[in-house]
Amino acid sequence: MSMRELVTGGAACAVPGSSSSSSNPLGALANALIGSSSKTQERLREIPNAAAPTSDTQFYSQVDDSVAALPGSELDRPFLHSNAQGSDFIRGLRSFDDNGLADAWEEIQRQPHLDHLYDPAAAPIQPTLDGPPQRVLSSFLHSFVDSSRSGIPLHPTPLPLLGLSQGDKQCIRDRSSIMARHFFADKSEDFINAQVNALLSSLEIENDVRARGPVPGRFRELEDYWNESQGILKPGARSADGWVTEFSQYTAQHGDTNAWVRSFEQQHGASSWASEFEQEQAQLTSIDHLNGGDVANLAAIEQTRMLAHTLSQNDDPKFQNSKFLQFLSKMSRGELIIDDNQVKPASGSWATEYQQQYNGGGTWADEFVHNEVFRGPDQWVNEFATERERHEQADDQWVNEFSKLHVDDWVEEFGHQVGEGILGDTSSDNWANAYDEFLNEQVAAKQRSDASSGVYVFSDMNPYVGHPNPLKEGQELFRKGLLSEAVLALEAEVMKNPENAEGWRLLGITHAENDDDQQAIAAMMRAQEADPTNLEVLLALGVSHTNELEQAAALKYLYGWLQHHPKYGTLAPPELGDSLYYADVARLFNEAAQMSPEDADVHIVLGVLYNLSREYDKAIASFKTALKLKPNDYSLWNKLGATQANSVQSADAILAYQQALDLKPNYVRAWANMGISYANQGLYEQSIRYYVRALAMNPKADNAWQYLRISLSCASRNDMLEPCDSRNLELLQKEFPL
Amino acid sequence: MPVFKTPFNGYSVRFSPFYESRLAVATAQNFGILGNGRVHVIDLSPTSPIINELIAFDTADGVYDVAWSESHDSVLVAAIADGSIKVYDTALPPHSNPLRSLKEHAREVHGLDYNPTRRDSFLSASWDDSVKLWTLDRPASLRTFREHAYCVYSVAWNPKHADVFASASGDCTVRIWDVREPGSTMIIPGHENEILSCDWNKYDDCLIASASVDKSIKIWDVRNYRMPVSVLNGHGYAVRKIKFSPHRRNLIVSCSYDMTVCLWDFMVEDALVGRYDHHTEFAVGVDLSVLVDGLMASTGWDELVYVWQQGMDPKAA
Repeated sequence: MSMRELVTGGAACAVPGSSSSSSNPLGALANALIGSSSKTQERLREIPNAAAPTSDTQFYSQVDDSVAALPGSELDRPFLHSNAQGSDFIRGLRSFDDNGLADAWEEIQRQPHLDHLYDPAAAPIQPTLDGPPQRVLSSFLHSFVDSSRSGIPLHPTPLPLLGLSQGDKQCIRDRSSIMARHFFADKSEDFINAQVNALLSSLEIENDVRARGPVPGRFRELEDYWNESQGILKPGARSADGWVTEFSQYTAQHGDTNAWVRSFEQQHGASSWASEFEQEQAQLTSIDHLNGGDVANLAAIEQTRMLAHTLSQNDDPKFQNSKFLQFLSKMSRGELIIDDNQVKPASGSWATEYQQQYNGGGTWADEFVHNEVFRGPDQWVNEFATERERHEQADDQWVNEFSKLHVDDWVEEFGHQVGEGILGDTSSDNWANAYDEFLNEQVAAKQRSDASSGVYVFSDMNPYVGHPNPLKEGQELFRKGLLSEAVLALEAEVMKNPENAEGWRLLGITHAENDDDQQAIAAMMRAQEADPTNLEVLLALGVSHTNELEQAAALKYLYGWLQHHPKYGTLAPPELGDSLYYADVARLFNEAAQMSPEDADVHIVLGVLYNLSREYDKAIASFKTALKLKPNDYSLWNKLGATQANSVQSADAILAYQQALDLKPNYVRAWANMGISYANQGLYEQSIRYYVRALAMNPKADNAWQYLRISLSCASRNDMLEPCDSRNLELLQKEFPL
Repeated sequence: MPVFKTPFNGYSVRFSPFYESRLAVATAQNFGILGNGRVHVIDLSPTSPIINELIAFDTADGVYDVAWSESHDSVLVAAIADGSIKVYDTALPPHSNPLRSLKEHAREVHGLDYNPTRRDSFLSASWDDSVKLWTLDRPASLRTFREHAYCVYSVAWNPKHADVFASASGDCTVRIWDVREPGSTMIIPGHENEILSCDWNKYDDCLIASASVDKSIKIWDVRNYRMPVSVLNGHGYAVRKIKFSPHRRNLIVSCSYDMTVCLWDFMVEDALVGRYDHHTEFAVGVDLSVLVDGLMASTGWDELVYVWQQGMDPKAA
């Protein structure tokens, strides 16, 4: 039977014994030609006399014949009546038709094909050096969606720490930038930019130049506007402070607010006050991006409210009810993960982070998050007005002016932010001060939450409390690989001796190996507090922050490592510490490596640095050099593996992880990473076994549960999703033995 | 009329060219901004208003478009937001799928079109500003067409000339290409705003339509493209997708961010023939059946797929 008969569906096409697509010879052929998975290859062999899939050229030329013979493919028919303008085009078409299709598509036929093509759709989980892969948000969202249907309670994951990966952030940034230009067709470019910026900064995504900007060429003046607004990014004094200061000064000089308003009006005009405020807000957002967010998302929230406001002005009730618009606004409030009125830990919301860290503080953050507290804008204005009237006489004017400004949103926002505290006060001084305080507090909160360091959370019911020498016990347990037990012993130690750097350090290492980065970083921070010059601690912190893609923090610790190293300390000029640039730090470490090429640690740090700059080939080379010097360092093998996985060499990565596991069979992180590498190669079944093994050793490894869930879905093992959700390890281990 | 609920937000719907009751639906989580995707293959029932799902394929990123193979009744290709194109065979179980993942585009793939005359190749339009030509049996694309200065949202083969196609881009142009030529043959600066979709008339191979963020649809004659043949105004927001009728020369269907699906006769003065208001979120996918005259399908971000006969109420049970 020829290929042609197969294509045209001749009588001989019945394929006996081919189960899944027996009714469909064309489908079988397609599989045979297309697939090179073992299954489809087998089926191909079952087709009697079927030509091997190497005969593509033949197949193609025959297809050409059959296509040419198809009714309706009137290839020789010229266009209808051609007139002047399109005639070139038509002529071109006709001349091609003269040549016939064979020439036209010969390019296709020349190309070889069909060898090892099968490229399974791997869920692109990004493994990192030692840290949690960053795709958790996505699977967390997935779980959230599932939970709304299945009724399985959602386990809140500390998302702020895990964060969105660079890739996710880029997706959100790029896609929302592009889509916004479709949604807001009637709006100006700066309006659209403002919307996108609001969305992004709420999610703590930097809107750098890589995002797709406006359509090039066509809107020159808008591009200029864009560049101009980007130009504000220059570091400088925080403008908001300036504004507040200005306000305070006026109040101080003139005593009564009315005078201030008058002189302000003289200078700026009545409505320019509001617009100036808006400008300040815009600058705040920009500065926020630049400084890694040391000024909070005030502006973002404000702008999102503007978005919501604008959209709500569309009187079409359908728009009012649009879930998409609600989604947008939720997203921009950082409440992507929200369950009705109950705020769940959402990614990138500083308010939530703040709340998490200072639980039950009854602070402004709580008030801020729980909108219920805030009073309506009108009420605020009214109240303000009444207060003013009571105390001063000439204030009406100011209030009137103020209410004429049509900045309801602003008022609302302001009332919202300042909360109740200020409403009891009457003087403008206090008002300004409160605003100032609010900003400062936000800055402080931001700084606290910026580092991915949580507060260390101790386990309940620790049996090692009261143990005579918990450190020794912990070291022993760690050596034996009983990591979860070791954690308890070491916690007992640091509770007893909070200044014991070694206790904290080992606790951090144990958590890291147990695949719990949040606790690892928290412990390492304490270790560093206790002993600021401990090299191992500095290196571990450098690695952790590299995992979190926090370059500045990572550089700080890696530079600290160099600075405090007895051999290389001289290389590090202390003045450099103030402003670290990647290139400088990398240069110093290269010098150090030249100085003593036999020092494995320097090569390790270099490997970490190259990971930071995503020069994976160099990183792999550095780790390999280090491994020649330190072949028994299991964590180093893991680093090599993770780097190889990051540079899409998953097969090599598995070999490296295997080395790590040979050296340390209880290395939970390596088991989990192994699973990730298999998943990235599309070997989901295999990956499931490794995740289950990792979880059997440490059921608290939340990330591994998330990955397991993804792999189960990808492997179409939906039957095991329930045991996964209920964390039924026994059943999973039975189903997926390694 | 039948309705199908998708767990994610609908992005595209296409009738099978082989089975009159079969459709493929592309969906994406979180409105395609972040999250997973799924391709549904669904079957209408001749007797009941229930739509059955034949099979579904999950993807790690949103699915923006699907296109049925014109040569194999069970094969379809899907445009994935991660830049890949995945090939599925509905005759195989999900774990044997996708048959292939073609990853060349650097950015989201937004549009696909299968060559209806040659039947062996298809085109992909991507936000990396390029269009690529593929055949199923090759791991790499045959050609890459780079001229657009911004995202390419849609591609459409000419129904008569097997080598001619059009592409619609955010650079406000439609370009006409011949795959045998290195560059585009014609550039139509059709709108003052981004162009999201284009399609060829199925009866007149010189007529092409473009749909834009400027809310309008314009019909062009490629022999004289200084002026549009017709301008269709009526949508309140960006027009997301357009499709010429395979059965009536002058009929065109469109869907829009104004949440409606509209039918137009571009040759008459009151061009708007029908407006369907059934979606409660952006309507982003629409198709007309080649096999059944007047059978229409639409999908939107309200996670619903509607299939109905022209002139009927899509929501009527």
